[in-house]
Amino acid sequence: MQNKAAFIAIIQENEGLIYKVAKVYTDSKEDEEDLYQEIVYQLWRSFPSFRNDAKVSTWMYRIALNTAITHLNKIKKKGDHVPISEAHLNTTDTNDILKEERIEILYTQIKKLDTVEKGIILLYLEGKTYDEIAGITGFTATNVGTRLGRIKQKIISQIN
Amino acid sequence: MKTLWTEMSVEIEKQKKLTGSLIIKMTQANYKNKINKILIPEATGSIICFASLVFILINIQKLNNWYLLTCGIISVIILFVLPILSIKAVRRMMSVNILNNDLKRSLLEYSKSKKQFVSVQKLNFYLGAILMLTTLPVTAQIIGETDLFIKTRLWLWYAIAFPFFYGITKWVFKSYNKTSTAAENILKELDS
Repeated sequence: MQNKAAFIAIIQENEGLIYKVAKVYTDSKEDEEDLYQEIVYQLWRSFPSFRNDAKVSTWMYRIALNTAITHLNKIKKKGDHVPISEAHLNTTDTNDILKEERIEILYTQIKKLDTVEKGIILLYLEGKTYDEIAGITGFTATNVGTRLGRIKQKIISQIN
Repeated sequence: MKTLWTEMSVEIEKQKKLTGSLIIKMTQANYKNKINKILIPEATGSIICFASLVFILINIQKLNNWYLLTCGIISVIILFVLPILSIKAVRRMMSVNILNNDLKRSLLEYSKSKKQFVSVQKLNFYLGAILMLTTLPVTAQIIGETDLFIKTRLWLWYAIAFPFFYGITKWVFKSYNKTSTAAENILKELDS
């Protein structure tokens, strides 16, 4: 019971993280909701072994990104599906249309990247250091820096 | 880019939170999905193959010449091997350690298992086609005591159908090869 309450609290605290990973790695609303649900499920599975010796966000990013990449190309499920729209899934709802457009452009450019690049740029934009990104992804910090440089160039040339 | 992202993240944090009951519902719904979408079809397919295998073995004495007996034996072997190969390949893809791996390791394991899965799918396609060819005369003999090779010149029909089968194989394998190439590219990218 205590476990459930603690898990729920962590998810509610970090909903935005799950939403962003799901949005970056999918191309449709339905897939996004599927992935969102799958990530929550995998976090629940992993929760008993989460020891609090790592940051919560590090643990969540690792599980979320791993889930996203193994979710790739899966046939759409038609099973039990909790309609997340009922729960007012986090969507940016600003009154600034220009800002919303810019956000959508940014998401579009990120979605054009490959699987690894998406993960790295997402972590970078979330404010993770090179060492933290290295810890989550398994690449060295130097490798992360190199890849990040290439990714930024790629996004710039995509926009231009 | 970072500033825009941060501003967006702030907006996201202001949005309404998921309720606790919805979160728990998600964990339960996904567990049920896995049972329904993966385990039940696997089990059903295996049961059908095993039942067919037993049916042929029980009636093997009715296959009263060398070519029908050969078809029967080939059918039994394929019905034994097919489900094992499929289950092993699916299980390998599902066994990627999402909970403990880092991203690179997960991607490596997943891409390798995907390549293997595609190879197994291709093999299954060929085995399935051979099974279709061999079970037809076997079933006709066991159930109807009719030798289709004599009655209908089945050999001729098989020879005529072969070019169509070749065309279908090329078309089906196109998407398998795409998947395999994508997995291969990911593996190369991880190496760079």
